[in-house]
Formats: sequence, structure tokens, C-alpha cells
Amino acid sequence: MAVDQSALLLQRQLRDMIKNPVPGFSAGLVDDEDIYKWEVVIYGPPDTPLEGGVFKAHLTFPREYPQKPPKMLFLSEMWHPNIGQDGLVCISILHEAGEDKWGYESASERWLPVHTVETILISVISMLADPNDESPANVDAAKEWRENRTVFNKKVAKCVRKSQDEFL
Amino acid sequence: MGNCFKTPSTDDITLLHDNDSQDGTQQAAPVPVGPPPPYQERAPVYYPSPNVSRPANMLTEDEQIKIAQRLGLISHLPTGVYDGCSKRGKECAICMCEFVMGEALRYLPCMHVYHKDCIDDWLMRSFTCPSCCEPVDAALLTTYETN
Repeated sequence: MAVDQSALLLQRQLRDMIKNPVPGFSAGLVDDEDIYKWEVVIYGPPDTPLEGGVFKAHLTFPREYPQKPPKMLFLSEMWHPNIGQDGLVCISILHEAGEDKWGYESASERWLPVHTVETILISVISMLADPNDESPANVDAAKEWRENRTVFNKKVAKCVRKSQDEFL
Repeated sequence: MGNCFKTPSTDDITLLHDNDSQDGTQQAAPVPVGPPPPYQERAPVYYPSPNVSRPANMLTEDEQIKIAQRLGLISHLPTGVYDGCSKRGKECAICMCEFVMGEALRYLPCMHVYHKDCIDDWLMRSFTCPSCCEPVDAALLTTYETN
């Protein structure tokens, strides 16, 4: 029962997204046979150092979705305080309910079963434009973002160019 | 869930026997003495905390208390059956499906409505409304006070 519900919900979201594309990203499946693994392309938000970038990422949903959050992994190289060196996105809305490892995330900031691919990606785009350096997944990037923005932006520009080359 | 509260004078063995006699079909015959029987499968799975899922018979005492309290609170939330004219909404925000006549619904104190199965599963993980993030226990207290 639960398996069917999560697959149906994801299929519905995929259909909606094909019908009404959202600016800022595009989404599809990695493999047409597997509704639980999505491939998304996020366009670097305008007026940020990421502008012009086309960043590829995978979203992996658990069978318990929407009761449990998906994981998001960037395949494109990223330099961002809230994206680990391995590409894993670390934002509070992808943290499971009740999880409060650092003791400051309120329930509204954590995973909720009303989140969809669209709301997740909107949060990720906002995180890309506006890093949260209080809980960095990449400590070096966070330190650089705070203390040496010029060098930080240069590294980001390199990621943007690389993402464009890979996309072609 | 009669085994959830500590009795000062008795030991854990009796608590375990209570548990068996309640939900156990495995040990139908009464076993007055001796060690408790090995736990069997097919117990419901609970989520005492994130990333932890355990069958009911593997929970610690604290987890059992927490879960029993949560189940008790959830059972106080009103339920109903969709009759086709709910003023509070036509769709469950969790599964994004429209309510169908005869489906079991659960009403939260913040006035949001969901399928009973969808929201009960969520409330065992987090006791907040997924739509407005209002803590359900606080909202429950408020409704008691105003009534």
C-alpha cells in the first residue's frame, strides 16, 4: 500500500511538472522505469555568482515518501557552504522530522510530508543564492564565503564554467 | 499498552508477560513461571526517533512510554468520514489525492484535514500539522481550554 502511494504521488508530480514547467530548473527521471530516482538540472540563479551555471543533481526518494524526505546529490562540481564535497545537499527541509542534531531546527524548517519536488527545488535554489553558513556541510567553503568572498566567487565561477562544458 | 508504566515493586519479567498476553497469539497458553519466551515477528513497527524504526517488541521502556503517549494523543483527535461536502478542504495535502466519499479523515485542532492513514503515520514521526506546522499537542490543549 505505502509503496503504491509514494509511486503514484511521484508520478503525479512528474506529470504536473511536464505540463507546467517551473522556471529555474527542469526535472525528469534517471531511468524511465524507476520513479524513485529523479534527475534535475538547476539553472544558476540570476544576479548570483552561480548565474549561467547548469547544475545536474539526482533526487533519490525512499519508499516511505512523503513520510520521509528524499536525498539530493549534485553530480556537477559545486563550491557551496551547504553542499558537501561529495555533492550531498545539506538543508534543513531535507532533514527528517524530529531530527535535531544541532538543536536549533524547528519543526517548520525540517521535512514535512507536504513537500514536493517543486518545493524542494525552490528551497535548494534559494539556498544556492543565499548560503547558510551556520550549519555548513563544506566547512572550507563556508569559511571562504565568510572571509574571502573574492576567492570564493572565483571557485564558484570555475564550477559554473565546468557545468556549462559538461552540459554541452 | 498496559506495560508502559513502571510499577515500583515488581520487576520487568511481569511487564513482559503482560505484553505477551495482550498482543501475542504465539503464546496463547499461560506460562506462569520461567524466562519470557523469545520475541516473535509480526509486531507493528514504530519510529521512536528519526532514522530509528523498530518493531514494537524491541522498543526500550522510554520509547514505549513515548509512543503510548503519542498514540493516546492521536486517538483524542476527531475523525470522520468524507461525505462529499467538507468545508475544510477536498484534498489530502500529504498524498495530494482528492477525498473520496466514505474515506476516513482526521481533523487536526488547527482545522486542517487529512486522510486518517496519511496523517496518523506522520503524527507518529512528528506531532505537528504538515500544512501550518502548528504543534498538535499545544493546539489540543488550547481547544480543551476554550471548550
